[in-house]
Amino acid sequence: MDLTFTPEQLTFRDELRAWLAEHGPAGALTPEPDGEDESWEWRREWQRTLAEGGWAGVHWPTEVGGRGATLTETAIFFEELGRSGAPLPADVLGILLAGPTLMVWGDDAQQERLLPTILSADETWCQGFSEPDAGSDFAAVATRAVLEDPDDPESDWLVTGQKVWTSGAQYAKWCMLVARTGGPVDAGSAGTDVAAAAAGAATGAGAATGAAATGAAKARPKKHQGLSYMVLDMEQDEVDVRPLVQLTGSPEFNELFLTEARVPQSMVVGGVGNGWKVALTTLMNERAGLAFFLQVRLRQALDRLVATARENGRSEDPVVADRLADLHLRTEAIRLMAWKGLTAIEQYGQPGPEGSLTKWLWSETNQLLVQLAVDVVGADALSGEDRWGYELLRARGNSIEGGTTEIQKSIIAERVLGLPRA
Amino acid sequence: MRFELSEDQQEIQRAARDLLAARASFARLRTVVAEADVEPTGMPDLARVPGEDAALTSELATLGWTGIAIPEEHGGQGLGLVDLCAITEELGYAVAAVPWLGTTTAALVVQHEGTEQQREDWLSHLASGELRGATTFTGDRVPVPGAADAALLLVGDPDGGPAALYAPGAGIAEPVRAIDPTRGHGRIRIPELDPEEELNMRGEWLGGTPTPTGPGFDRAAVVVAAELVGVTQRALDMTVAYVRERKQFGRPVGSFQAVQHGAAQMLRDVAMARVMTYNAAWVADAVDAAEDEAERARLAAELPVAAAMAKAAASDAGRTVTAAAVQLHGGIGFTWEADVHWLLKRAQVDAALLGAAGHHRRRIAARTSAVPVVEPAAD
Repeated sequence: MDLTFTPEQLTFRDELRAWLAEHGPAGALTPEPDGEDESWEWRREWQRTLAEGGWAGVHWPTEVGGRGATLTETAIFFEELGRSGAPLPADVLGILLAGPTLMVWGDDAQQERLLPTILSADETWCQGFSEPDAGSDFAAVATRAVLEDPDDPESDWLVTGQKVWTSGAQYAKWCMLVARTGGPVDAGSAGTDVAAAAAGAATGAGAATGAAATGAAKARPKKHQGLSYMVLDMEQDEVDVRPLVQLTGSPEFNELFLTEARVPQSMVVGGVGNGWKVALTTLMNERAGLAFFLQVRLRQALDRLVATARENGRSEDPVVADRLADLHLRTEAIRLMAWKGLTAIEQYGQPGPEGSLTKWLWSETNQLLVQLAVDVVGADALSGEDRWGYELLRARGNSIEGGTTEIQKSIIAERVLGLPRA
Repeated sequence: MRFELSEDQQEIQRAARDLLAARASFARLRTVVAEADVEPTGMPDLARVPGEDAALTSELATLGWTGIAIPEEHGGQGLGLVDLCAITEELGYAVAAVPWLGTTTAALVVQHEGTEQQREDWLSHLASGELRGATTFTGDRVPVPGAADAALLLVGDPDGGPAALYAPGAGIAEPVRAIDPTRGHGRIRIPELDPEEELNMRGEWLGGTPTPTGPGFDRAAVVVAAELVGVTQRALDMTVAYVRERKQFGRPVGSFQAVQHGAAQMLRDVAMARVMTYNAAWVADAVDAAEDEAERARLAAELPVAAAMAKAAASDAGRTVTAAAVQLHGGIGFTWEADVHWLLKRAQVDAALLGAAGHHRRRIAARTSAVPVVEPAAD
């Protein structure tokens, strides 16, 4: 047991802190503007600032513009980013998912074309995994890609179908798309493991942690032949992006309608029929860092709530105090489990059971926190003018995005505890 | 940053697991408990405690386990709280019928809250296992494992008031049959300790004068949490094994989602208790190892909340996980024949010992509300 950082890690942290103090919210970064487009542009600019400072892709190898940071340093990066109050970079999907996936599975031409524009946010990404009838049940992907002319070796794929929960699609140049290039739609054959990983990937920035990836790493290949992972150019008329308004009233996500959208054969990643493997195997390590960001944000929200409860005297209520203490405990448990999960990856190459529990615990804890906030803050929280009101509604998505809690529990039961498949 | 037992600690834990698998099976436990129920026919054997495995108790003392976290100058092995927790977890896993918690927690309390003289007087006897100890709070909230009139009794104040040490023969412990029949328990009916009043003639203030209950009892609570981690891990393992095998409707019941999700919840509760427990143990060891005075003070200030979080998480897990084990075993789980009830009973006593979850959350709330608030996020 050693719960301290090495001198090298402390140096990394201090350098990052100094940089964030100068460029982050405490320094040059302006407050987030109102409006969906304005907010996006603001986060895109923030990503450019990060990239110029060499902080956009800390876990990326130095040859492709990263820092070659270790897992621990990457965790420190996300903790500090969260602590500084800065937002995640705009194209978190490109940085955490598309880039690392291409580094493992992409051929030279794909890497040369696609990698250089990711960190700089010159071209951003969205992810087309989930479908209206393929949410938790990823095997039910029905979007179909067919060769325009099977006899022509240069023929393009024509993709037709509908994708959903595609955040950032209206701004994206590229879409990581999983489509069926062969084999029947075999709904229900996937089991829950792959489904959760897919759902997690699809909702991207929302709540990704190692939980889904645990199941993903152990998925059964045979049931997923016929899916292919391809890079779709969003700048074509055959791609129709429509905003999807959430129950909060804001359109954080989109629906994607594809009607014979064109994908060159050169843009299939990892080979035709290998899509499930490409989509799932690289998610684990890259996404582990996000848990640290989310944990810090949870800690800050709890600190705000504690401050409010002290100001208005509600903390004197033993029931409120008990719930605040429970939240404190849970928030610390998430932090410690995230570190324990990281230790397991470093030591054994895969996360231990804790790694698959953090997402579930995080979503539940955040929901408990915002619910307590209503009791502590009072009428303001329900009047729609207070930030807690938005958080109260937004938190309902936490236990759905990134793999529903029910799916997480099934993954844990079957993949961690080894219970027979449902 | 490495959240894992060291190689040495893993080795210690493996050795403990292997020994206890051989010596402390449920079959053995049944024999020990059955012997406790036999009416004495001749002269009472004063040295024998009902429900206790005398052979294993003496073997553990011979192996030096009892003194593992006691300093070498007092006859122990001088290892840390993490090491002690690693072994304690295994004893919990086995529900070993030995006077472990009482003696090891008493030693921690004397070590960290006693005077030099008190350490000198008692630690070597606790290390060798020749003397039993017991640790509890005022208020008579729980049957105290290890508390018999022949034991060294440490009584702390749950709200931070002074703590007292009672030498063997103080006459404040009365034997009681607790719901957990696998070790001896006693009741200690002291409502509170008044610093203005004299203690009984076998009692003295821990630390020489009335001194706030603190770092020793915090460490003791972490050890109890470690036992609960072991108990709940066993409950989970037994449940998983059972629901894989047990068939209804032609399928293993473990393939039903309602059962699966119950098992997943058990795992989560155990995992939370585990990280909080080893975190607290690590903080305690880091306090002891700190060379810099400021660093030591910083870590020492962290310990109360770390220990409270560990005991709160472990107490809650102890209750919910062992209850779930009974539930997921179905009808057989409610019988004497199935072994899950040993876990339930051990967990119930441990959960209340040295403060139940609510008590420790109260401590967390009192302390964390005084922590400076981090600046709000910008977005």
